[in-house]
Amino acid sequence: MQPTPTNNGGLDDGLQSQNGHDRRLTDEEFDRYSRQMIVPGMGKEGQLRLINSKILIIGAGGLGCPAAQYVAGAGVGTIGIVDDDVVETSNLHRQVGHATSRIGMKKVDSLITHLQNLNPLPHYIAHSYPISARNGADIIQNYDLVMDCTDNPATRYLISDLCVVLQKPLVSAASVQKSGQLIVLNCPPTPQGLMDKKYPPCYRCCFPKPPPPTSFVSCGEAGIMGPVVGMMGVAQAGEAIKILASGLHLSSPSDPEVERNLIQPTLLIYSYDLESAVGPYSFRALKMGSRKKKCFACGENSPENLSLEGIKNGIPNYDTFCAAPIAKVSLPQQDRIPAAEYHDKKQKGELPAHILIDTREKEHFSFGSIDGAVNYPFGKLLMKAALIKRDGGDGDEILSPISARTQAKKDDDGKDDDTPIFVVCRRGLDSQETVEKLKELGVDHGGKRKIMDIIGGMKAWKEKVDPSFPYI
Amino acid sequence: MTTPKPPPGHFNILYFASAGSYTAKNVEALPAPLPLSELFGQLEERYKGIRQNVLDHSLVTINLAYVDVDGDEEGDETKKVVIQEGDEVAIIPPVSSG
Repeated sequence: MQPTPTNNGGLDDGLQSQNGHDRRLTDEEFDRYSRQMIVPGMGKEGQLRLINSKILIIGAGGLGCPAAQYVAGAGVGTIGIVDDDVVETSNLHRQVGHATSRIGMKKVDSLITHLQNLNPLPHYIAHSYPISARNGADIIQNYDLVMDCTDNPATRYLISDLCVVLQKPLVSAASVQKSGQLIVLNCPPTPQGLMDKKYPPCYRCCFPKPPPPTSFVSCGEAGIMGPVVGMMGVAQAGEAIKILASGLHLSSPSDPEVERNLIQPTLLIYSYDLESAVGPYSFRALKMGSRKKKCFACGENSPENLSLEGIKNGIPNYDTFCAAPIAKVSLPQQDRIPAAEYHDKKQKGELPAHILIDTREKEHFSFGSIDGAVNYPFGKLLMKAALIKRDGGDGDEILSPISARTQAKKDDDGKDDDTPIFVVCRRGLDSQETVEKLKELGVDHGGKRKIMDIIGGMKAWKEKVDPSFPYI
Repeated sequence: MTTPKPPPGHFNILYFASAGSYTAKNVEALPAPLPLSELFGQLEERYKGIRQNVLDHSLVTINLAYVDVDGDEEGDETKKVVIQEGDEVAIIPPVSSG
């Protein structure tokens, strides 16, 4: 098969063969990859580039599984996978590279089992430990392209920084709940600090500031729809295959061919709307900027900020950069009650009539709750509190959204209602903040009304009171 | 996300991911024209705390193209950007999970 000469910037024009790029395909390869090789722009050249490429997939979860399937199917020669997790039942609705029969197995081993079945030709490398500032460079430097399929901000910044310094293209995808994002970064790979013309951005160029830890939600917390993350993982594989087959990863930004092929980087956004079943599919392709002059990792002065040595020795510190000024609520002991004690006292009739507010999201609440609890999701409560503060209303107004459900306990004589309030949430943090918020608004009527936090939330309830409680 | 055309004298603003949860909206129409440099202030007025919790780490696009809200890249260019009637602005916080 001779590649057809093209002059339209297709995949097989451009870079001339690298090592091994002009060998014959084996019969097996010829057969296995025939349907993609006959696609215009791909050809034998593109296929050989894939076979000679090494790709690193970091994360073997909702993104990594679908991404790895297509990368393996396409015949990328070496596929490394990093993950230290084990397969759990709750992964399987979206992590299609695992199986019910492999629950408890390391994800890396489970996924490679699946991939070997799909295509035994690639060389699979298992990295069954977490990627870290210490080991990151040693892993990444052996590969041609990195796919970020991870699940937290600190690791995303680490991977992007390493890819900038090691000059590896990075295909980055992310997804939570009902939305997904995909962007190709640092491609073609460009030395740190070059600013004389337009160069591709890195992750920090797009998102220089990490989200505050309070706003970061994991799929375990917020939930995730399988097809949404699957779509992003598949699209991610598509971009990676395109880059490797065209040889863009081996090029430098000064190649005239590359310059011609270099379109503006695009951020793909997918939003999936459960509320409008027949609504339009929503993809948006957003034109992104190029490398930023002030970027910490790749901009003008970046070589002073960021080096392999530095990263290895903890500079910058990714955990403090992205983290965790832990929600600093420390309620006094008298405002808190352990879940088990609440239960016991209630059973024995030692608790006065009270309002029990459950601040979990309504989906969590729908699986089960403590008898008599009313649902008032934390986010709604915060919004309501902000509105009351802004408009200077009566603090007790905060309870109006649930007043219909608690009316029976209200006094009608115009006096303040001092019915005690108990607050429970999922794990015991939001409930403390809620108690604080309510007191701040004066709902405790200067101490006349008790407002108590149930320690440890429904998680503690399941552990200490009712093991059969359907906690998610 | 369905986006109705904004009424005359307005632009649409789309709230993605955590911006959507914070405002409890996917989209709304705001009065145009509005200088880009005043957008975050306007939103903060409507949604107290949104700046610190969402906007400061989000990226912003106008008509599907990235704009630099901080304005520290191309000199004073950003200060001159004005959101016009009929524009589509999007607030895009990073998503990290997978």
